[in-house]
Amino acid sequence: MTPFEYLRAGDPGEAVAAVAGRPGAAFLGGGTNLVDHMKLGVAGPDLLVDVSRLPLDRVEETAGGLRVGAAVRNSDLAAHPLVRERYPVLARALLSGASGQLRNVATTAGNLLQRTRCPYFQDVTTPCNKRVPGSGCSAIGGYTRYHAILGASEHCVATHPSDMAVAMAALDAVVVVLGPGGERRLPIGELYRLPGDAPQRDTVLEHGDLITAVELPHLPAARRSAYRKVRDRASFSFALVSVAAVLDLDGDAVRDVRLALGGVAHKPWRAARAEEALRGGPATEDAFRRAADAELAGARPLPGNEFKVAMTRGVVVAALRDLAEEGR
Amino acid sequence: MSVAPARAPRDIAAPGGGGVGDSALRPDGVLKVRGEFAYSSDLWIDGMLWGATLRSPHPRAKILSIDTSEALAHPGVWTVLTHEDVPGRKHFGVDHTWDQPVLAFDEVRHQGEPIALVAADHPETARRALEKIRIEYEVLEPLTDARRAAFDPAYPRVQPRGNVARHQPVRVGDVDAARELAEVVVSGEFQVGMQDQAFLGPESGLAIPAEDGGVDLYVATQWMHNDLEQIGPCLGLAEDKIRMTLSGVGGAFGGREDLSMQIHAAMLALRTGKPVKIVYNRYESFFGHVHRHPAQMRYEYGATKDGRIVYADVEIILDGGAYTSSTKNVVGNAASLAVGPYVIPNVRIDAYGVYTNNPPCGAMRGFGAVQACFAFESMMDRLADACGLDPVTVRQVNAAAEGSALATGQIIWAPLPMAEMLQTARELPMPAPADTGDLRDLPGGVSQTTHGEGVRRGVGYGVGLKNICFSEGYDDYSTARVRLEVIGGEPVAMVHTAAAEVGQGLVTLEAQIARTELGVRRVVIQPADNRVGDAGSSSASRQSYMTGGAVMTACQAVREGMAALAAARFGHARDDLSFTGDKVVSESAGVLGTIAELLGDAVIEETREYHHRPTTGMDPVTGRGDSHAQLALCVHRAVVDVDVDLGLVKVVELAAVQDVGRILNRVALEGQIHGGSAQGLGLAVMEEIVVENGRVRNPSFTDYLIPTILDMPPMRLEILENADPRAPYGLRGAGEPSTLSSTPAIVAAIRDATGLALTRVPVRPEHITGSS
Ligand SMILES: Cc1cc2nc3c(=O)[nH]c(=O)nc-3n(C[C@H](O)[C@H](O)[C@H](O)COP(=O)(O)OP(=O)(O)OC[C@H]3O[C@@H](n4cnc5c(N)ncnc54)[C@H](O)[C@@H]3O)c2cc1C
Ligand code: SF4
Repeated sequence: MTPFEYLRAGDPGEAVAAVAGRPGAAFLGGGTNLVDHMKLGVAGPDLLVDVSRLPLDRVEETAGGLRVGAAVRNSDLAAHPLVRERYPVLARALLSGASGQLRNVATTAGNLLQRTRCPYFQDVTTPCNKRVPGSGCSAIGGYTRYHAILGASEHCVATHPSDMAVAMAALDAVVVVLGPGGERRLPIGELYRLPGDAPQRDTVLEHGDLITAVELPHLPAARRSAYRKVRDRASFSFALVSVAAVLDLDGDAVRDVRLALGGVAHKPWRAARAEEALRGGPATEDAFRRAADAELAGARPLPGNEFKVAMTRGVVVAALRDLAEEGR
Repeated sequence: MSVAPARAPRDIAAPGGGGVGDSALRPDGVLKVRGEFAYSSDLWIDGMLWGATLRSPHPRAKILSIDTSEALAHPGVWTVLTHEDVPGRKHFGVDHTWDQPVLAFDEVRHQGEPIALVAADHPETARRALEKIRIEYEVLEPLTDARRAAFDPAYPRVQPRGNVARHQPVRVGDVDAARELAEVVVSGEFQVGMQDQAFLGPESGLAIPAEDGGVDLYVATQWMHNDLEQIGPCLGLAEDKIRMTLSGVGGAFGGREDLSMQIHAAMLALRTGKPVKIVYNRYESFFGHVHRHPAQMRYEYGATKDGRIVYADVEIILDGGAYTSSTKNVVGNAASLAVGPYVIPNVRIDAYGVYTNNPPCGAMRGFGAVQACFAFESMMDRLADACGLDPVTVRQVNAAAEGSALATGQIIWAPLPMAEMLQTARELPMPAPADTGDLRDLPGGVSQTTHGEGVRRGVGYGVGLKNICFSEGYDDYSTARVRLEVIGGEPVAMVHTAAAEVGQGLVTLEAQIARTELGVRRVVIQPADNRVGDAGSSSASRQSYMTGGAVMTACQAVREGMAALAAARFGHARDDLSFTGDKVVSESAGVLGTIAELLGDAVIEETREYHHRPTTGMDPVTGRGDSHAQLALCVHRAVVDVDVDLGLVKVVELAAVQDVGRILNRVALEGQIHGGSAQGLGLAVMEEIVVENGRVRNPSFTDYLIPTILDMPPMRLEILENADPRAPYGLRGAGEPSTLSSTPAIVAAIRDATGLALTRVPVRPEHITGSS
């Protein structure tokens, strides 16, 4: 670990100024990801600006939706009655992530911005374009079990590890950002980037941009929603693949559907093609399978993670089948 | 009129008095649960320095130069040491192997190999100084192909003496002739991934330089005297200059049989004249100890139509990684137990342990028998399928029993009711069908992944046969010193051994034995150190047998002394006297007095070595020999639910039938069987150190997964007590057998549910879903 200073910000503006004014500074949420990376030598900020105790720790009702403060802990968000009632997919996604202890500490913003679990990213003795731009990607041709099948590039094939973000992607959440130039609102689909030729950037945020809240829009259909995750043990492990699904039925037909996939891409993957294939059509297992296939037609698995294609199809079909049954 | 004794001795030995057979409470239990137990990582002494270790990032490289000047100049650094500073022998190695450099020179042979040491006044300072050590490497392509290491003479050498650490054949009858007789032939290739011991207490300890030029070492180890045999020569110190004390051990499972930081901390302490503490972090710990040998195994069995095996043709390759460690003994186990507890008239087994640039492998619970057991039990299921028999019957048809011979020719001398145990396992009630009301009960657990559809149930069996104690002619013994005297008006037995309590409950058992043998209530277990003779390792399921035996015989010698005093004092014949509940009791006349009165100021102290019956080596050509001291059997039945669409497995129930000879402490015993079964479950469905081109890809407990309480099902245990007449109290070692059989039972159950071949453990979700 390199030496660093610590500052507890008094208000969001002060936090932004402190980080924006110093290239080596970083925001600190619960620290469950950043501090790990500091110990591994993956990150070496010279100033930590603690934003976990800013007054951003409330879940507030908005017109039909919710505004979630950036410092709300994952456990509190998952347990919030309105979240459980209106967005069960989000509660389930949160609860399927990490462990109780970690969720008690991890914050909403920190969860969104946690970095990839790619083993080469975490091992400072190996080349990695995300950690050291231009050094190469060790995962390509290496151990790829946790890597992407959609939207990857020749420079990086990492996946985003968050469960919560997958649910938020399905819900069309909006991220509220306070930057040195003021506040702006980013649909979650625009927050994350694909790796392209700049995999060092996970998101479009600039240095000094502070996430202050996440807005969940009014979405009555989300009351029937689900999150499913396939992983190597029954709890406390990252997703191999996962799906967040919202299904709105009109009789036996699909009125509306939202699908986002986890564990398959550099960002929570909104399955627009599958949604399109389903909208207005029958809610049958066959249709679910065809929709999944439509999305996965673009999949480019790596040697070693080909299985994710079938597994993703399986979990999409299972989630939709379940929601359809509930709706009947 | 005859007067009955006031109280029969039986009544005085109140049940629950903490003797042999009682579930006596562990003295360390409450402390551990409350987080108050002091582990070796908690050691502290004022003024101590912190040691840190520079390790090779490369699995194979030449070291061209080492420059420590910048690190030495770093403020707060006391010293930086390299191979040039090793005072004595430059190599160490468990059990007389002497091939592992204390600090690497010329060459590094595995990722994480130690090269240099730093002592500094703060752990972070020490770590930062490591970054300032400049090493020039010539990086070489790692040699990681175990099969080529075994068979290809053109493969470059990892070790100058060649790439095969040991080849052990076993030959019985004539396999080629038997091939002609076989009506059914089944074959398979099986693989076992590299499992980690996953103990929770990282390698750690404290070295304090002494005025006599020696050093006091406080470490967490499994075998103090074997440590000492290596530390002494490497430090260039006589053994009496090295005083070792066992500090709190946070689990071992074989991973502490090899040295880690012991010599390093001592070198730093001797050089600086200051106490030095070293604690590995979790990442470093993955490189700080050996792992379970990954295995590649080829099996072919021929049988008659009724399922009787007529021959077995077996090849086992165990990847030992860069250094020998315990590989030779692991090969011995794999070879001698390659076909398990089955009677097969014609056998050809070739087991190899090889060197590669993969991480070094050595001792881990089950020790070579685990790998073979997965293969031969998989073969038994294949045979059952081929013959149209059920898996229990095919095992019963071929089961060994008392009087039959192992593949090595060794005759089984004690009861081995395997066929009956299988029957018991089969007849246990089956768990209820999956309750779709509680999703936690389904595959995927709290991920809410499986909702009942596509879930198939499967049942599988596994039988494991484990050798207990050291095998192959090793002079295996333990030493105990027992002292009886009156302290504070009460007789107190003090038991002193060098045996390592690693969490298995040995200190509890030592006290139980002393209570039973001496009839006293208070027993003090003295800290394990090297002021008493060798106790051997806390491995091979051997400490209850060996150190238990040593404590028993030492106590019996002390009791003889007491009996002599009592006979003189009370005028009774010695065989009329017994000691129980702190009292001297006569069979005929009841309580005669207290032990405290009898002893007065006298101190009775006896030291005894306990040896098991000698074993013999395995013949280097035929593998013949009475190589094992004891055998123990466990049978598992596993019931699983598998979501075949998503590849998720829920082990619904694990039932175990194990013969332990004699139950010494039921709670502790059940803990061993539960724990061994859980470790086998881990190997079956999740645990693997992922090694890619010689490098570990998951050195953390976030990425190396071990079962949680949600993965481990409730267990049903049937415990048998068929005494082994040679062993103390008739006991059979119980630490390992369940680790063997749970893995194949679970995989068999998954096969039963899915119809898949599943030839590799751990079984991953993608092995079940496939790739299309
Ligand atoms: C053992 C383990 C298992 C895990 N398993 C899972 C799992 O199964 N599923 C899952 O989804 N996650 C899992 N996680 C990850 C966990 O969810 C994240 O570590 C956690 O959510 C991060 O939140 P934090 O507040 O601690 O973030 P921090 O570590 O504090 O910060 C993470 C990043 O966000 C930045 N940041 C923090 N707050 C702000 C802000 N307000 N504005 C801008 N930037 C900010 C920080 O600078 C840093 O770059 C696991 C973690 C561990 C250690
Ligand atoms: S996949 Fe991305 S994160 Fe992983 S090694 Fe390649 S560049 Fe680095």
